[in-house]
Amino acid sequence: MQKLVRLVLISAVMVGCAVKPVVEEPQEPMTASQELEGSPALSLLASAEQARQQGDNSRAERYLERALNIAPDSSWLYKQLADLRLTEGDARGAEGFALKALRLAPDHPAYQAGLWELVATARDRQGDAAGAKAARERAATLRDPESRKA
Amino acid sequence: MAKKAKKSPAKSRRQPSRKKQPSAQRRRWFSWSFIAKVGLVCLVLGAAGMAYLDALVRERFDSHAWQLPARVYARPVELYEGRVLSRDDMLKLLDLMRYRRDARASTPGSFAVQGNSLLIHTRGFNDSDGGEQSERIRLSLSGGQIRSLEAGGDRLARLEPLQIGSIHPQHAEDRVLVPLDKVPPLLVDMLIATEDRSFYDHHGISLRGLSRAMLANIKAGGLVQGGSTLTQQLVKNFWLSSDRTLSRKLMEMPMALLLELHYSKDQILEAYLNEVYLGQDGARAIHGMGLGAQFLFGRPLEELEPHQLATLVALLKGPSWYDPRRRPERAMERRNTVLQVARDEGALSEADYNKYSARPLEVVPRGASALYAFPAFIDLVRRQLARDYPPEVLSDEGLHIHSTLDVLAQLASEGALKEHLNHRDPKQVKKLNGAVVVVAPAQGDVLALVSNRDSRQAGFNRALDAQRPMGSLAKPAVILSAVEQPETYSLASLVEDGPIQVKLPNGSVWAPQNFDKKAKGAMPMVDVLALSRNQATARLGLDVGLDKVADTMKTLGVTRNIPLYPSILLGSLELTPFEVAMMYQPLATGGFSTRLRSITDVLDKDGKPLARYPVSTDEVVEAGPAFLTQWAMQQVVEEGTARAARAALPSDLKVAGKTGTSDDFRDAWFAGFSANHLAVVWVGRDDNKNAGITGSSGALPVWANLMGKLPQRSLSQNPPPSVEWVWMNEDGRRVSAEGCGNARRYPMLAASIPEDSDGCGTVKQTGKGIKGWFKGLFD
Repeated sequence: MQKLVRLVLISAVMVGCAVKPVVEEPQEPMTASQELEGSPALSLLASAEQARQQGDNSRAERYLERALNIAPDSSWLYKQLADLRLTEGDARGAEGFALKALRLAPDHPAYQAGLWELVATARDRQGDAAGAKAARERAATLRDPESRKA
Repeated sequence: MAKKAKKSPAKSRRQPSRKKQPSAQRRRWFSWSFIAKVGLVCLVLGAAGMAYLDALVRERFDSHAWQLPARVYARPVELYEGRVLSRDDMLKLLDLMRYRRDARASTPGSFAVQGNSLLIHTRGFNDSDGGEQSERIRLSLSGGQIRSLEAGGDRLARLEPLQIGSIHPQHAEDRVLVPLDKVPPLLVDMLIATEDRSFYDHHGISLRGLSRAMLANIKAGGLVQGGSTLTQQLVKNFWLSSDRTLSRKLMEMPMALLLELHYSKDQILEAYLNEVYLGQDGARAIHGMGLGAQFLFGRPLEELEPHQLATLVALLKGPSWYDPRRRPERAMERRNTVLQVARDEGALSEADYNKYSARPLEVVPRGASALYAFPAFIDLVRRQLARDYPPEVLSDEGLHIHSTLDVLAQLASEGALKEHLNHRDPKQVKKLNGAVVVVAPAQGDVLALVSNRDSRQAGFNRALDAQRPMGSLAKPAVILSAVEQPETYSLASLVEDGPIQVKLPNGSVWAPQNFDKKAKGAMPMVDVLALSRNQATARLGLDVGLDKVADTMKTLGVTRNIPLYPSILLGSLELTPFEVAMMYQPLATGGFSTRLRSITDVLDKDGKPLARYPVSTDEVVEAGPAFLTQWAMQQVVEEGTARAARAALPSDLKVAGKTGTSDDFRDAWFAGFSANHLAVVWVGRDDNKNAGITGSSGALPVWANLMGKLPQRSLSQNPPPSVEWVWMNEDGRRVSAEGCGNARRYPMLAASIPEDSDGCGTVKQTGKGIKGWFKGLFD
């Protein structure tokens, strides 16, 4: 009986949402400076980016590792490492770093969704279809909270 | 040998000829044609000999003359605004790296103290990210950190990595290659003035030089100049062993001529400077001026002052006879002779001569240099390298190995272990020894490794090879296994601490005792860990399942075979301190497993990157259970068996850890971590006898001391989304509220939060309410 009441209630809320969507302020896209503002790690991040553009991934990685020594809790830096690993074809490494980035991620659904998508790609490339699917669902939920309730 | 030599080709030919020839010709056995024949044979033999020597000379000289052992460097010192670094530590680092005090910091490798700020002229170095140019930086230090830093528009700078050792597995030659254009001209001037004044004029051998040397020696009334040229000396050093047989002497001259024929004076000089033998450091032969400079003065050759250069030149006459450490008077006298000759030859002004011949030898004491000071860590590097490089590459190719060693962490660890053991066992009657492993958990970097109370001593590497029962260090794995089943266990769950008996398959009975031989009755799981209760842990572990606990240990990084005996719950499994660090690393990072590394990069001899050893990480424990376990381990330090550590640490610093003691007080352990340092300490005896120590008394003080000396960051107190703080009734089964009876606050996984409340206070468990509501919905 109690369950039924809850279900009805929840349906009502959902219907309400569907009819009159909540207008949310679109969140600013996540940037490095949100985490690293004023940190000397920013200049290492810039050097890493430059190295990456020059195709020197290994140098980029070294810069990022150094940056992490300065800003060890930066989700953004881990995300860069994950991206780099994926480019280099190390899908397992990419998954590890992306999950670490998620652990440290700020409350920013779009950013977190991007990380889950990265995890999904990395899992796909390791042949883990089920894991990839689960990660994609997490991403979808974060991108569109409505889908969670559907 | 002597017999053979007598039987010369000429003589053997003479015998038959005598028989054949009529007696009239007997007097003329040395006919012209015979002489011509002998001459021809000699010419052919001589030519063959020369061709052989020529090949020998060219092959060795061309096919890269020098065997360069791989050199190992500490991590470069990263300087940036905000870095926690005391002024004392900064000065200690500069001292270790042999930076000179110089009011204007005018040359690389010098610095000046100006009030609160330091002006440092860095040396520059290569790295896989391009490295750093030599530059002048100004940094101000106060309140234990870098307040500001100016470095050519940048806010970051690095000091070159300190060389901490080299790897020469096959033979014990060592060398720091210095190209001729980096050699101080004064050194070359001194060398030529004292050893071979006609170097630029002769063709390898010099009769004039020989006679002049004899004359000079007579004039000086002693041996001030040698007769052989630098080229000859090089030949001797390069190709010939040092024993002075005639055949060697005979080979020396033609080889010197050949060398001069093929190579320029500069090439020969460069080879000489890098090859010449300068002494012995234990099994390690010191070759070349570059290494000599480091060995004697702890500095690069380029940075030496005239009197130090003269000391190096003085050694050429007899490396052990003029050893400045063992024979300072002799070395000083010879050094001043070198300075004098340099002055006479116009290479040194009168004023400089007076100034520098008055200076002391200024040799660094043996063992004071960071080079070869960390044998345990170098051993680890060597083992990791041996997996990837064949020995000949390591001994010959001059690789630069950038390691993860943090000099300050290493020194703090060595000091802490030594201090504690000197206090506990001053006369070494108890034969206590120990090991320390310090790791930066997030990247898995091994920052320090100590394997002996006398850390300079190589030998048994306790940190890597002393395999000991881990005792209660196993308990966090039991707790983690339990909280990974949140429907059944939470940190508030009560566990009975009382006698427990398990019948083993072999018929014997396992009945663990508590440390205090008492039973404390039911207690929350967090206290089981904090107070390290054996009987309660055994009960919990058996309830959770031995196989589950063993799996958890494997997940955390134990690679050994784990037998499924109940005693593993209390740490019968034997691990080395390094393996304990591996097992605790994921606990320190909230569930991310990272391979421990001692090497970050390998560069070739010219500083070109060859290989990287990148960080890699895997999520092995979910955020929730990892947080709970870490929190429980914090209670060990807050109120449990490790609370004595609090006194050595800042009061607001959140750290976690676990004490361990093995049966009969044989092994004392402590393994614990902050957010940025994980340290494992083991203390015990090599013969595995009763050492009369416990984790709290034997190992914890070392841990607390060393952690207190390093910059620390607190463990995060922010639970992951799957965890929330809940006030729990002391029965561990009902929700309560702050201020209610003995209610305590726990981090709880949603599945553990009971629906029932004890009804105390205005219980308003909002978080729980919603979760429970949904939970009920989907049940």
